[in-house]
Amino acid sequence: MKHSFIDRFGDLDSPLHVLDARTKIVGFTALTVAALLIPAGNSGQFFAFFFFIAILAGISQIPLQYVVGRTAVILPFVLLAGLAAPYRGTQRWAWLAALLLRSTLCLLILVLLTNTSRFAEFLRGLRKLGCPRIMAVNLGFLYRYLFVLSDEIMRMRQARDCRRVGALGTISEMKILGSMLGTLMVRSFERADHMYHAMLSRGFSGEFPVAAPRRFSWRDLAFVSLVALFIAATFYL
Amino acid sequence: MRDGLQFRPMHIPDGILTNRIALSLDALSGASILFASRRFKLELSARMIPIMGVLSAFIFAAQMLNFPVFGGTSGHLVGGALLGIMLGPMAGLLTMATVVVAQALFLQDGGLLALGANIFNIGAITVFSGSAVFRLLGAEQASGRRLALAGFVAGWFSMVLSASACAFQLALSNAVPLGIGLTAMGGYHAVIGVAEGALTAGVISFLHKVRPDLLHRDFTPGFKLVDWAGGLVLVAIPLVVLVLAGSSGLPDPLQSLLAGPSSIADAAVSPLLSNRNQDLYRVLGYLALFALFAAIFLAVRWIRNRKGAS
Repeated sequence: MKHSFIDRFGDLDSPLHVLDARTKIVGFTALTVAALLIPAGNSGQFFAFFFFIAILAGISQIPLQYVVGRTAVILPFVLLAGLAAPYRGTQRWAWLAALLLRSTLCLLILVLLTNTSRFAEFLRGLRKLGCPRIMAVNLGFLYRYLFVLSDEIMRMRQARDCRRVGALGTISEMKILGSMLGTLMVRSFERADHMYHAMLSRGFSGEFPVAAPRRFSWRDLAFVSLVALFIAATFYL
Repeated sequence: MRDGLQFRPMHIPDGILTNRIALSLDALSGASILFASRRFKLELSARMIPIMGVLSAFIFAAQMLNFPVFGGTSGHLVGGALLGIMLGPMAGLLTMATVVVAQALFLQDGGLLALGANIFNIGAITVFSGSAVFRLLGAEQASGRRLALAGFVAGWFSMVLSASACAFQLALSNAVPLGIGLTAMGGYHAVIGVAEGALTAGVISFLHKVRPDLLHRDFTPGFKLVDWAGGLVLVAIPLVVLVLAGSSGLPDPLQSLLAGPSSIADAAVSPLLSNRNQDLYRVLGYLALFALFAAIFLAVRWIRNRKGAS
């Protein structure tokens, strides 16, 4: 079966992909924080951020329609805030525009951050930045077994669709779905037992090894200083 | 696997909450995760690690299994209450937090600084309320209808509480008034919550029939007095920050950090944007921003690829 919905652009080759994961986490988080601090009505600064991020996104080789398409995620919240706009008096449109621009910017940055590293490297970066070991191990296992479990879900869904004719009532649908999930849960527990024994026999230490890990190099230094310069320039000039 | 675009109205993106609210919830969630993971290192066998890992993958995969709700929207199992019942609050929180972080990283559902808020709403609240309601109903040793009913109530409550917490945060951020937020989020999730409750009840009843040993074993260490005290402090600090400082006119802590000449409060608005008869131009301007984004993007890529080819 095909899984192409996760981690799909991590294998591309671009100046951003070459950087150490820590650099990207720190740099893009700083950009996010800075984007959140842009005051409403400061169109020049918003424009500068869009310009900078468009350049980074162009460098990163991620397809354009994916980058722009993901920004639709913020729409429900903006709509909800739009419902509330009439209560805010005269500055409501500037406020709503700032909210929309800020969250669009942050989403574009997040797309860049999460799509320019392989997940194993990203995890290693998180771990080196002080993420608790149990969380890192959990994330690693999630990534490893997500594909196995979603394969099983797809097979179960196919089996269900083959065996049922027409639409059933909501209650029977729920019963079927509940049993499917229950079966999957039992299988997950059994798989966890196998994993436990495999862990014991292979001496798992809690770290997922990365082939040829990236090092902190002059590129990383250049990227971090570029981001810092950009933020300082937009806020103090 | 993901059929088209799917809205997840619980995952708050960045830029919606004010920085103060987002940061204090980051602190709260980060502290509770550190707290829970410390307890793990001290008291838990390694046996729990693969169980939590696989169950977080299970929840992530199960959340992609949609069922139609009404009017073309679709819902999915959230699973916080289920995890709280199965694993207890500590392991359940860590597992759910993993799922929320993974959703932000893989699917960009929920923002980076809003991660604390999302872990709090989708992780902590659903897990804690689910397991608390289940235990309060005395269903740990129950079977049959009583077990199913307790599972249903736990699932429904977890959804409604988590949606209300989200509405409260939006209201504290001055983004959405409490009335509208509670009606919209709470109402929608009171409906979705029926399905969540039904699925929770279905899975628990199924497990009780097939593998009762999974349901009735206690993995996690119980709460001790120290934990209650620590938990109270953990909850109290952000609450004080939220309630006392959240609504006052104090400058934003982040903003004062970066107090450049341009970072004035949101109230200062350029005259260009304050004219209210230009809605159409504003929408067009927003779309034009995307066109500009695309143009710069394509130009940079074209230059790069030409260099690569030659």
